[in-house]
Amino acid sequence: MHRNKKVILASQIIDGTGRKPLEESAILVEDSIIVEVANKSEIFQIVKDQEYDLLDYTGFVLIPGMVDCHTHHNGFGDGRLGDDVSEISDEILTLKSSSNARVALFSGITTIRENGPKNMTMFRLRDAIKSGIEIGPRMNLCGRPVCVIGGHMGYFGGEVTGVFEATRFVRSLIKEGADYIKITQTGGTTRTSFPLLPAFNIDELSAITNEAKKFGKLTATHCVSTEGTINSLDTGVDMVIHAVFKEPDGTDKFRPNIAERLAEAQVYVNPTLHVFRARAWEMERLALKRALSKNEIKLLDSHRRNFDQRLIDCSKMMEMGVKVITGSDSSWGDYKIGNTIHETECIYMAGYSASQSFHSVTLGAAKALDMDNIVGSLEVGKKADMVVVEGNPLEEIGNLRNIHEVIFDGNIIDRGSKDSNKVYIQSAPSNN
Amino acid sequence: MSNSSYDFTLIKAGLLVDGNGGNNLQKASVLLKDGLIKGIGNQESVLAPEGASVKVLDYGDKTILPGLIDCHVHLNGIGDGRVGNDLVTLPDEVLTLQSAKNARAHLYSGVTTIRDCGAKNNTTFMLRKAVEMGISPSPRLILTGRPISIVGGHLGYFGEEATGEVECVKSVRRLIKQGADFIKITATGGSTVTSLPYRPSFTKQEIQSITGEAHKMGKHVAAHCTSSVGINNALDSGVDTIIHGYHFDSDGTFNYRPEITEKFIEKGVFLNPTIYQGRKTIKVLESKQDQGTLTQMERENLETSRYRSEKVAEIVSKMVSEGVKLACGSDASWSYYKTGDFQSEISAHVSVGLSPIEAIVSATKDSAKSCWIDDKVGTLSENKIADILVVDGDPTKDINNLRNVVDVISNGELVDRGNLI
Repeated sequence: MHRNKKVILASQIIDGTGRKPLEESAILVEDSIIVEVANKSEIFQIVKDQEYDLLDYTGFVLIPGMVDCHTHHNGFGDGRLGDDVSEISDEILTLKSSSNARVALFSGITTIRENGPKNMTMFRLRDAIKSGIEIGPRMNLCGRPVCVIGGHMGYFGGEVTGVFEATRFVRSLIKEGADYIKITQTGGTTRTSFPLLPAFNIDELSAITNEAKKFGKLTATHCVSTEGTINSLDTGVDMVIHAVFKEPDGTDKFRPNIAERLAEAQVYVNPTLHVFRARAWEMERLALKRALSKNEIKLLDSHRRNFDQRLIDCSKMMEMGVKVITGSDSSWGDYKIGNTIHETECIYMAGYSASQSFHSVTLGAAKALDMDNIVGSLEVGKKADMVVVEGNPLEEIGNLRNIHEVIFDGNIIDRGSKDSNKVYIQSAPSNN
Repeated sequence: MSNSSYDFTLIKAGLLVDGNGGNNLQKASVLLKDGLIKGIGNQESVLAPEGASVKVLDYGDKTILPGLIDCHVHLNGIGDGRVGNDLVTLPDEVLTLQSAKNARAHLYSGVTTIRDCGAKNNTTFMLRKAVEMGISPSPRLILTGRPISIVGGHLGYFGEEATGEVECVKSVRRLIKQGADFIKITATGGSTVTSLPYRPSFTKQEIQSITGEAHKMGKHVAAHCTSSVGINNALDSGVDTIIHGYHFDSDGTFNYRPEITEKFIEKGVFLNPTIYQGRKTIKVLESKQDQGTLTQMERENLETSRYRSEKVAEIVSKMVSEGVKLACGSDASWSYYKTGDFQSEISAHVSVGLSPIEAIVSATKDSAKSCWIDDKVGTLSENKIADILVVDGDPTKDINNLRNVVDVISNGELVDRGNLI
């Protein structure tokens, strides 16, 4: 059978494994799989007398397709709350999800972990992609997040009570096609929830994590206060999202022993730093247009302090050896999908080196999703998901935004017009 | 791409075809403001007021004409040959995604208004909401939501079966409440497995209850008809557009009925003959035959399609020569006819005897008339909505020039046809 072969050249190849950028090298792709990464001359030796397409990105840098461990495809990123998003019909949310999926892909994100949509919307989108109706990145889905009655994201349809219901619901999600189980172990922005308090009792949370483990599925918990993180550690959760260190009375208090436990248990932390800053950015943008009210100034101040605190806490966790990965949380709150690199830059600001930050949005993220056997690096046997960027991201992490081409599953993605790809870009507020 | 930072947009082109069917205008200009056409004429006379800010779109020797109006589409359709019975097994969310994809393809191919002739549940209404929310680009949508059918009738699987006059009235009211702009009925069976294509479906009384209620509410009615008895029922009961209009008798033979032509003319009803649909099926099935992959069912389909297609061309030509007015509607993406190729149906109108300019009128002004929106769109004239198509070449000389789309302007805004988001 004729195989579709491609030889891909670039000035530098950063394969994502941590080794030095490769020069004078090339990648050979057969259909959707990387079959060789080697010196140019070796690759050309292999394909001589064969038919192949040459993709020459001389002048550019080739990197692995990026992985965002935390997206909300139902979201708009225009500041509206999840409570309001969930009022929208499933059909419309599926359409929005599909648009967000294309944006993610066009921005170089070839794998996403969706962190909680309404009802069946993301499963439906994935079905549509599988049947060729739509395009989108590889998807690691949870269906609905599991939560207590009135808990965070309960409006998406995943409220359960007690061990029995929790167990049954996990099975239902897996039947529907869930790749992992998302749990909201503290409240959040959801109006009826309590962000400073834990949600499930330990027996319920254990039931969920145990049932997920039984089927080989990972778990991730939303925790915006410390007790939730402790519960997660006690029940063997694989990833803690937000991992905010807050006491029940709302005071910020970093707990080194908890961070130590996170490091020891090798639990991934998805700190979602930029989503806190995004709110501040929007208010700063507003301040450029008109004077803020006293209340707004206070609010802006608290958003800034909150972001600074998160950054400090994240640095401490990094120092203690906690594994931190990029998960943008877009399009939640004010953070629009297509801007994942803001989060990676925050991780860099918190103290990871450029190379560690790069790892957090490629192989590190893939490992956190247990998908490193197929994506995350440019290695033989993996999926041919890659991004061509301008400028070396290991020298300047922001170069990850300079997308020149996206190759997904071995195919070049038509990203459409330049103008249309400007629409989703969010930048820091400035006078220009 | 927003033009809104300018007060006016001035469009210049070498040739203007206004959609009324009269003479073309050379070296023409159209002035737009707030999404409407505010001036039209030669380039010397049509100018923005002095001092106003103007965005100029100079198309040189290209041709401008009204945005195309496809009066018969199925947004839910995939166009890969699957029948409606299989299509409806897809969840509403997936059908809404497909609808958004088709809407985009219509718009980018030069179609600025579409009349959707039947979709499952609320999928098209949901698409419209999403378009209003700015999630998805789309042409102007004229929607029926679900077609009204008899129990087991054609398209009944979309969710609006009705029996008796009261239920028919109820269906009309329910659809209008949900946002229907017109009412589509299936007055005969069709490809739906449980329906009988050569037999009428609703009684005249039932159809009259539908047209009466729809007209009362200012909505028009279009009827799917693939049998002569069905056409007569619809024409006698106040239907405004006849779709397909196949003159089948109950034994499956296709026979011209002069009295139907007379009724069309007397009542001023539009015929949407969907000519290319059958030709496309033949094309696809013939290529399958060449590859030796034709199934028994497809072979039968090919034979009926050939017979029907030949008869349709013959009879529609006859009707046109007698003076029946055609409204151009593709029926895409039903069966094998994929969205984005409305131009093939317009060309098919030329093949049954319309001149290129008449075919353009059938796909602009007359299509707008059949959709009851000719006060807003369909021609390039003052105070109409600025839906404009720019093509390379003169389509009144060669209708295929309609395929050379240069730009599409919808509601006065230049459409970014490269926007895939």
